[in-house]
Amino acid sequence: MIQLLANWILSFDVLSGIGFSVAWGLSLFIVAALIFAFVAVNAIVLVYIERKVSAFMQVRLGPMRVGKFGTLQTVADALKLLQKEDIIPLLADKVLFVVGPWVILIASVATFAAIPFSDTLLAADMNVGLFYIVSISSIVVLGIVMAGWASNNKWSLYGAMRSAAQMISYEIPVGITLIAVVAVVGSLNLQAIIQEQAGTGNLFHWIPIPLPNWFIFHSPFLFIAAFVYLIGATAEINRTPFDIPESESELVAGFMTEFSGLRWALFFLSEYANATLVALLVSIVFLGGWQSPFADYEGAQIGFSVITLVAIMWTLFVRAKTGRLSVYPLGLSLILTMAVWLFPGFAIWMASPGIFWMLIKAGSIIFMLMWFRWTFPRLRVDQLMYVSWKVILPLSLINLMGVAVWMWLTGEIQF
Amino acid sequence: MSYFSNISNAITTLVDGMKVTMGYFVRPREHVTLQYPDEVWPIPTRNIGVGEIESYNTIRSKLVVDFEDCIGCKACERACPVDCIDIETFKAGPDEDIGTTKNDTKIKLRVTSFTIDMSECMFCDLCTHPCPEDCIHMTPDYQFISNDNVKLEVTPEERWRDRDHLIYQFSKVTPIERAQRKAEAEKVAAAKAAAMEAKKAAAAKAAAAKAEQEAQEAARAQDTTAAQSENGADPAPRITETPVMPSDPALINISTPESTPEPEAVERIEVPLENITSPVIPEEQPASSEVNEEAETSIEPEDSSTEERGETENG
Repeated sequence: MIQLLANWILSFDVLSGIGFSVAWGLSLFIVAALIFAFVAVNAIVLVYIERKVSAFMQVRLGPMRVGKFGTLQTVADALKLLQKEDIIPLLADKVLFVVGPWVILIASVATFAAIPFSDTLLAADMNVGLFYIVSISSIVVLGIVMAGWASNNKWSLYGAMRSAAQMISYEIPVGITLIAVVAVVGSLNLQAIIQEQAGTGNLFHWIPIPLPNWFIFHSPFLFIAAFVYLIGATAEINRTPFDIPESESELVAGFMTEFSGLRWALFFLSEYANATLVALLVSIVFLGGWQSPFADYEGAQIGFSVITLVAIMWTLFVRAKTGRLSVYPLGLSLILTMAVWLFPGFAIWMASPGIFWMLIKAGSIIFMLMWFRWTFPRLRVDQLMYVSWKVILPLSLINLMGVAVWMWLTGEIQF
Repeated sequence: MSYFSNISNAITTLVDGMKVTMGYFVRPREHVTLQYPDEVWPIPTRNIGVGEIESYNTIRSKLVVDFEDCIGCKACERACPVDCIDIETFKAGPDEDIGTTKNDTKIKLRVTSFTIDMSECMFCDLCTHPCPEDCIHMTPDYQFISNDNVKLEVTPEERWRDRDHLIYQFSKVTPIERAQRKAEAEKVAAAKAAAMEAKKAAAAKAAAAKAEQEAQEAARAQDTTAAQSENGADPAPRITETPVMPSDPALINISTPESTPEPEAVERIEVPLENITSPVIPEEQPASSEVNEEAETSIEPEDSSTEERGETENG
């Protein structure tokens, strides 16, 4: 993408004289700014969605006053945060206090450099993309420890220590789970991982249910691995139910206790950037990234018909169980199915890969994270460690070996 | 194998919990927070046998005055148990036409200030019934928040409450006009005071001459001086009998609206002035009983509402 952008810049007559290296640097800067803009806008939108989702799950309405249905609420909040006083505690370690949030933010945003949003839309197509993301995102814990230590506050320090322990614990199962996928693909390149998941095939290779070739349907082991990765990643980004570093009821706000205004906004930004990153990574590694779930346009027609059938059954089920008529899923799927059958162009577009599918998949994973957050109670510290070391780590190791055996059984690899 | 049963138990319970929250997520939201300024609960109405439901609601809330119909009789002010109504009136000139009420009653008093302190009001409804023109009434409007920052002149005693927005001013008289009215009243009072001064001086002179004459007569008659002077000083015995104590101004002022304006006003205005100039010895002055009652009312500090007091202060 940077190469394309540099060539595009040099294609203008006015700018052709600046030389390739300058154009390269300029496009680097533009891409970085684009990524940061994506992260910032994404955080604003996600905060609004999260507040609405939590409100709906708790029979509330959420923000309603600023803008229509409160859509401008988070914009107003962001403006307020920018205007707030920049407070540094008197006895804080000022250098670390100032640097900490930026370290976290940079670590969160830098991971987006390797995320492929479509086959061309990615900043850096590196052959160690997965490794890069895992390693850079673990720098976040450094910033959290810096912030917690610099605050000179017992809650902040507790939060930072818990965060460090938790993130280091969950790095291991997450890494091993990803290694299982890498074992299937044979590459750390994210584009290679996505291209490996093109087309459709049988569920678990033998069960005759036509499903996309995504790795979540590759084998029972990778099916479990997807959920293991989701749980581990939830812990890694400090979201509920693994939010003990900033547990409001015990530590005031954990490592963020002493922060206010812009620095606090940076924490928030990085939190949602991390959530988005996890969602994107799950959709890349297990859900086929920017690949369409339909192989071709006939596949799209059949797929949407099946979805409509499922929606009809769901509607009848809800009607029989609760007496209510839920028309939205049925109506939406019916409209899409009719569109797919009536307009072949739409069906072809639905069957073609693109950023649309990437965002749809990542959005559903983010919704799932929100669903987790507003359903589950927080784990205790010892329970957290128990889950990490005694449940998730053995499971991920079993998955890694199981995937190897599965591939030998299905003949994907031969010795 | 409690290890695996624990894990399966965890998974099933987590899925159960997720089902519950998803059920609430997709459920239509019926019983949720009321979006207050946009939607309000309906006010319950109940016919209690007096009037129609619309006009006589059981909810008694914000007091409203139809100010065009107010004649300044202060009946509501007197009826108020918590003294939250404050009315200031000035007498209209003889050739001034202020207007008539909806009952065709001629308005004789110019109401320059009509404030109701809703932070003190206890919604007892007692002020609405004495009103002869039915111009003060309670409305079911219970929302006292407003955007208009009406800054009223409140006394220092009232200022601590910091509830200026709950003091409602119904008179549309501007502060400038109010000051003008005050100045006019002062001018009239000053003129009358001057006339009274002259009259008083003459009376005092006459009294002194008479006393001197009587003293001479008494000396001649060899009687006690006290008896002589008491007989000669004043024909009104009630002055000494009337105890000087803070009496209820409302009781004294009951006759105020009905009294004919012009001649009595002259009488009434004179005496408090006199009282202020020499408040210590009211018995010495030649004064009628009515005059003395008026003097008592003007002495009281709480009597901020009476018409006479406004004029005496100005004087």
